[in-house]
Amino acid sequence: MPNMLLKASINPYLKARFSTVQIVMLDVVIALLPLVYVAWLAYGMMALQVIGVAVAAAMLADVIFSLIFLGKKDTLLDGSAVVTGLLLAFTLSPATPLYIVVFGSFSAILFGKIVWGGLGKNRFNPALVGREFMSVFFASTMSSSGIWKNNDLINTSSLHLFENSDTVLSNYLEGIFFKTSGALGEYSAICLVLGGVYLMLRNRISWHIPLSLLGALMLMLWLFGNDDVSFSTGGVLLGAIFMATDMPSSPTTKYGKLYYGMMIGITIYIFIIGGCRQEYMSYAILMMNGFSHQISLLFQPRVWGQKIDRKAKLEDVFMLTLKILAVSSAILTLYYYELIHYLVYIFVIYLIFKFNYSFSKQVDNTI
Amino acid sequence: MLLIPSLKSKTKKSEVGQIADPEDFYIPLDGYRNVMTPLVEIGNQVEKYQLLAACDGLFAASIHAPVSGIVKGTFNLNGKQFLHLQNDFRNRETLAAVIAMEEITQEQFAERLFEYGIEGAGGSRFPTGLKFKKNETPIKTIIVNGAECEPYLSADYALMKHHTAELLRAAVLIKKVLGAEQIVFAIEKQNKELEKLLLRSARENEVKINVKILPDSYPQGGELQVIKSVTGKELKKGSIPAQHGILVNNVGTLWSIYNAFFHSRPTIERIVTISGNRCANTGNYKVKIGTPIAHLLRETGNEWNPDEQMIILGGAMMGKAVSSPLLPIHKGSGGLLVMQKLRLESDNCIKCGACVDVCPQKLMPLEFVRFNQSGNTASLKDFNLLDCIECGACAYVCPSDVPLMENIFRGKDKLLKNA
Repeated sequence: MPNMLLKASINPYLKARFSTVQIVMLDVVIALLPLVYVAWLAYGMMALQVIGVAVAAAMLADVIFSLIFLGKKDTLLDGSAVVTGLLLAFTLSPATPLYIVVFGSFSAILFGKIVWGGLGKNRFNPALVGREFMSVFFASTMSSSGIWKNNDLINTSSLHLFENSDTVLSNYLEGIFFKTSGALGEYSAICLVLGGVYLMLRNRISWHIPLSLLGALMLMLWLFGNDDVSFSTGGVLLGAIFMATDMPSSPTTKYGKLYYGMMIGITIYIFIIGGCRQEYMSYAILMMNGFSHQISLLFQPRVWGQKIDRKAKLEDVFMLTLKILAVSSAILTLYYYELIHYLVYIFVIYLIFKFNYSFSKQVDNTI
Repeated sequence: MLLIPSLKSKTKKSEVGQIADPEDFYIPLDGYRNVMTPLVEIGNQVEKYQLLAACDGLFAASIHAPVSGIVKGTFNLNGKQFLHLQNDFRNRETLAAVIAMEEITQEQFAERLFEYGIEGAGGSRFPTGLKFKKNETPIKTIIVNGAECEPYLSADYALMKHHTAELLRAAVLIKKVLGAEQIVFAIEKQNKELEKLLLRSARENEVKINVKILPDSYPQGGELQVIKSVTGKELKKGSIPAQHGILVNNVGTLWSIYNAFFHSRPTIERIVTISGNRCANTGNYKVKIGTPIAHLLRETGNEWNPDEQMIILGGAMMGKAVSSPLLPIHKGSGGLLVMQKLRLESDNCIKCGACVDVCPQKLMPLEFVRFNQSGNTASLKDFNLLDCIECGACAYVCPSDVPLMENIFRGKDKLLKNA
């Protein structure tokens, strides 16, 4: 089995420079750093504590669980735990109790990554898995108004970038640069977009998912009115740029990515009008994570010199769309009857079962 | 689309040097898809250009003596047959009569290509004569493939730069034989300076050619890719360009054709780029077919050190690592590279999709690994594994060094065995 891992000396004998897993992760960290700074501006040490604890706990969990479950010692070097920790922290309130943050990081790494077989094999975004675990197991704290309404804790409430003028426009611009509401990663739309642009320039993410996601969401809002719809712009941007584009849990093909982003946008809208107040982003992305591989294969590129059967393809896409809409209404129903936590319990049992019977035996496979 | 930073600058400016003939030649007796039978016996005295081995059958090839000398026998290395010829350094030649080209027909032309042992110099070693067999569709466009997309190689570049007029004469001959409408020289943007040279030479020789500048992407030099860039036609892998009125010849092949028809010389040498990231002395050299790699390395001041280096015959992307310094240069070897050993471990695939993005055939390499490892041959076929041209672009970009090519090769083996 182990030699399946090993490359034989087969062509090519040249490698792209700066193309390793570590550098990919480093790029994501670089893209996220401005957000850490913005969070610090807003809530000072408090924000840094949450972020720091989330990252440290994720790294610790990665070392411990990799050793126990995968028998691997050097997984920390790939840098993915840092990314998971950062992203998890960005979905939290700065007032989240630190022991809950530790719990979140541990479940993100264990149930988001390790029990699937390690880096790259997970089907769901680890940071969002961690977040869902937190909201299920610490439901009252995580949704309490004590955590989310914390105006008294704000360090810097506004940057006063446009002091000279006090128009609607300057207020709006200031809101884009810095607006302290919601979770730690949502304070600066500009920094979120900058991070996204950086990742696109470095070819770590492509424009397909963020743009189709935002486009679909805006189209839905425009088509069906937005009077009674409220959502966090920062949250949606964070999700669109950094969560939905998570490599292992999103499709690998261009058109697949377009469809995937579009369907996330649509399901976000469904969850918002269905009455989800905070979790719409997580639900939409996690749910679509489940379809991502199927989407990859369905939207395989047109092979060189071949024609595709458009009609058959369209039928397949239509059926898949129906399936996705059915699943999203099922999730909405569970949410409505407050049964989501059972879904998480089933997820845990399924994973333990799967790990014992198949995942642990494929740890050495690269795919 | 994959852009590989060019590494041609190491050899692009070098003149075409001549490598001194070795004492021993190991003439490869394998061809595109066949094995040649020696026509000489141990102890025979042979003369330069004398026919040494040939084979019958459709994918036929033949090979000629690069120097005069004595046949010492045949031997087997890595499952392939070689003929050992000892150089007597007397350079006695035997040449066929010059061909009267005025009345040569297409069939005769193709026949001569076989006789002169002309194979595709781009690496495939496809017997060129086969491309000239008559078919219903007349050839309209002759594409001279000067797109050398392998990052280290500049052998074709050197040929176009130093032998422009000869290549043109060969191209014109082909055009006349086939009655084609146009000749297109396809060169990459990074070699744009050749355009002037080609056009000037064409003017001086009163020949009409087109020069098409291709992007620097990899693998631009693949036949399907060149055809698409020049004619806009996207041919499925396995289709025959001649049936679409197109004939593609590598510049190296053209050079062989020139030597054959204008000087009656069979193919006994080619230009080889010696380079690589661990190569001491780089350059382009005229090398005789059958020259052992050890001799080339010695002559250029390089060492054979298998613990730290890999010696690659061909380019860094599609070449083959050589296991023995005795292996010789064959008609498809455009390069000899001394390269740093690569790491052979892999990380887990992170599903970045880079392999899908760069695949010139629009396939999904990462899925091939999954299907191959789970033994799902049906899906390998459904996802068109057999359309893979083995260019290695996917493995080049993979940040996790997933054994993509290994799984592709194994998967293809399975499919071909089942078929």
